[in-house]
Amino acid sequence: MTEPAAPKPAEQPKELPAGQFGQFLKDLGIGSKRLADSCGVETIEVAAADMEVALKRLKNSSETGLNLLITVSGLDSPESFDSVYHLWSYTDPEKELVVKVSLGKATIPEGKLPYVTSITPFWAAANWHERETYDLMGIRYIGHPYLRRILNPWDWEGHPLRRDYKQLIDALNDKNPQSFR
Amino acid sequence: MSETNYAGGTGNGGKLPEELKDTVTLTNLDMMVEAMSKIVDPIANWARSNSVWPLTFGTSCCAIEMMSVGMSAFDISRFGSEVFRATPRQADMIITAGTITRKMAPALITLYEQLPEPKYVMAMGACTITGGMFNDSYSVVQGVDRIIPVDVYLPGCPPRPEGILDALLKLQQKIRTESYVERRKRRYAQTAVRYVDYDSGLVIDPVRATVEQAIDDMEEAMNNRSEF
Ligand code: SF4
Repeated sequence: MTEPAAPKPAEQPKELPAGQFGQFLKDLGIGSKRLADSCGVETIEVAAADMEVALKRLKNSSETGLNLLITVSGLDSPESFDSVYHLWSYTDPEKELVVKVSLGKATIPEGKLPYVTSITPFWAAANWHERETYDLMGIRYIGHPYLRRILNPWDWEGHPLRRDYKQLIDALNDKNPQSFR
Repeated sequence: MSETNYAGGTGNGGKLPEELKDTVTLTNLDMMVEAMSKIVDPIANWARSNSVWPLTFGTSCCAIEMMSVGMSAFDISRFGSEVFRATPRQADMIITAGTITRKMAPALITLYEQLPEPKYVMAMGACTITGGMFNDSYSVVQGVDRIIPVDVYLPGCPPRPEGILDALLKLQQKIRTESYVERRKRRYAQTAVRYVDYDSGLVIDPVRATVEQAIDDMEEAMNNRSEF
């Protein structure tokens, strides 16, 4: 079912052939870029504008049948913030897909958070995942019904898993000034 | 009198103000209690130390060991502490079993302050002593003694159930050496060391400072206005 995982070294900028799901999206007229497989799972990158439609199609089509959303997570890359979706299939456990939406740091205005469309309206499983990603990585999900911090206190300053996060030091945690913070 | 005496009893250090000497008779209950306490204390303390009821409070993996010590293999009821109460009003002790995060800290402080006196805290596990392996984390309080006073420290990650029993025996020793009068002389209720804001996870002192600053500013403004 899935492509035989071809381990590609990262320095090869050669265009990878579209995988099963990349081809499916291409037939629907949605562009995607194939990335190096992650642990043998097809990984594609779609544009933020196409993301909602692409995930809807991948979820609802009987051909793909990726009807299980495993996780929504965030990634702080040097050039961009990525919102990453792991999809799986109840009916066919062989099918698995990682969808990445890249939000370039250069395009984000100063003092603003990057944003993507929320998939919670049609995929309720994403609700808490998106809240968590918002909380820890600071990616705003537009259209989320209740986008509020889920792990940290509600008025917390900053987004702790970002690379540039400076940890707050006060009377509750100044015991170890030599630590690697 | 501007000073409030919370402890009851004679107040004012047992001295009667000069102008009231003729009209007031002080019944000095404290003196009687002090005399009685030599006899009563050992009995009361023995009874108290053998019925230290813990609060059902567990925030992470240490709580598993705490549950284990309540079950039949280790059986904390041999030492009179089997009644894990679900409300602080009926408990004598908190075993802080697990990591305390900034978000949990206000809840723990509330629970601690809701415990009736006399109250005890057993800091269980590395997390509640120093922050443990989450010492560097942005969200973890580095030791529960930063927010509430601790009586017994119980190291380990997690401590074995026998460890909890040992700590309980230590706490019982402490209770047996207590004197009711000494406790009564203390003119304050035991309160949290510092408070944490629920909404922001910050220590509350700065918040209080800003409020006080605002009040000062307001008073100053009022004073300035009265000059007109
Ligand atoms: S001290 Fe260890 S076992 Fe106890 S809560 Fe912390 S990490 Fe868990």
